[in-house]
Amino acid sequence: MSRPVPVPDALTAPFWAAAARCELVVPECSACGLRFFVPEPACPRCLCERWEYVACSGRGTVYSVTVVHRTPGPGFQTPFALSIVDLDDGPALLTHVVGCDPEKVEIGMPVRVVFRRLTERIVLPCFTPELIVDSGA
Amino acid sequence: MPGGRLDERRPVIVGVYATEQALALPDRSAMSLAIQAAKGAAADAGLCLADIDGAQLDWPGPGGVPDDGSSWARMFGRDLRWTSDSMLDNSGVRGLLKASAAITAGYADTVVVGGCRLVTRGPDNSPIGAGAPVEFADVWGSYVVAQFALVAARHMHEYGTTSEQLAQVAATIRNNGTTNPEAMMFGRGPYTVQDVLASRMIATPFHLLDCCVVGEGGAAFVVTTAERARDLPHPPVAVLGGGMEYHQAPYANPALYREVGQIGKDAAARAYEMGGVAPRDADVLCLYDPNSFEVIRQLEALGVCQEGEGGPLAASGAIAVDGEHPVNPDGGCLSYAWNGTQQMTLKVVEAVRQLRGTAVHQVPGARLAAVGTAGSGAQHYELAVLAR
Repeated sequence: MSRPVPVPDALTAPFWAAAARCELVVPECSACGLRFFVPEPACPRCLCERWEYVACSGRGTVYSVTVVHRTPGPGFQTPFALSIVDLDDGPALLTHVVGCDPEKVEIGMPVRVVFRRLTERIVLPCFTPELIVDSGA
Repeated sequence: MPGGRLDERRPVIVGVYATEQALALPDRSAMSLAIQAAKGAAADAGLCLADIDGAQLDWPGPGGVPDDGSSWARMFGRDLRWTSDSMLDNSGVRGLLKASAAITAGYADTVVVGGCRLVTRGPDNSPIGAGAPVEFADVWGSYVVAQFALVAARHMHEYGTTSEQLAQVAATIRNNGTTNPEAMMFGRGPYTVQDVLASRMIATPFHLLDCCVVGEGGAAFVVTTAERARDLPHPPVAVLGGGMEYHQAPYANPALYREVGQIGKDAAARAYEMGGVAPRDADVLCLYDPNSFEVIRQLEALGVCQEGEGGPLAASGAIAVDGEHPVNPDGGCLSYAWNGTQQMTLKVVEAVRQLRGTAVHQVPGARLAAVGTAGSGAQHYELAVLAR
């Protein structure tokens, strides 16, 4: 068996279509302006049913991380850094921080989005530690 | 008793019952266990089924209509005045408070709450534990242990809570189960902090022994009016107060410590005020312990200590049976039983036994208990204050 593959529906298809173009988009409420995740039928702050996907910078900070050794099912390579990332210009997302030793992922670490292909149709927005440019000061 | 006089319709618990709890009960169906639990609780209350006019029980079938509580009406030898259709309304403190509301309002007089769901056998045992696929969680390998781990990791970051403190919680509660003949883990252990830390890592910071058992079993209790309880065999256990909090639907979004770290605080404040008691007054606490950390979080949210002080408090020995704030003397979910939704009912059962003075590991002279039930990555919380 393989890792669970998302099955896009009317709410989520645009998110996955954008990810396949290496763009990170999140719902933004047309009434109150809240950016939220996961996509819901209505804004979770004001219950407005009108919202649209908007692009995010893809930069954020690790809010929390757990290094998962035992997975809920087959198809995952362990260990991995299951993380919550606070987007600089959007909501918190569940994701993986990749591109480094999972044990090195720390709360507060700046990260940026990196896209990893899962299937022909599904590309996952993962995150990777931001390269810090030392000002030399 | 604390909290003032009992009026006639004050809800009281008069019967409790727990079936055998085991890793697997292959010879038993969920229906059979639910029937055993309901009949057992009624018998403990000194009642026959025809005395019961409300049922908050899952209908696990066969026959009837799944998730339709009125299916039970044909089993009680009389029409029912009160039923409930949702699994979490049929268990634990949420079930208790909704039954109590019905009794206080006069919609029913005597309600049985509980049942059995065999989550280890059915579709409920899907990756996340929630039943239906969760599009933005399953793909990341997120599941209930990992979602709680994300809450614990943030608490450790903010307050310096340590793995040793978590392990102390796990060892203390597990060792209660070691000597409880009803516990799934009876005879296993005792465990030291080092044993917990040496067990294999599941999802940081949780080792295997930081996480609860998974098994099968049923449970139920009977709630009635103070007036009706007067001629029943056991001393009634009064529901002094209660509160509920719902943050969001389970699992779709990860639990963020900043949002759920204090879940239970409002419910507890309401419950304690209603009861006219303070959080530190409880002689025994029956709390949700799907993992070691969740106990630390509740000690803080329920006001036993300040936010960030739960780790040191637990590590001081305060939560042991002979400590200042005993937690889960039966061994809790960590060692006694976790059986899906009815683990919540077992918390009520243990609290009632403690207040009757008949628990396996009795807290001497216990007169006031706090019972907390929760789940779903701590996205909901219910608290009841019970008194003899």
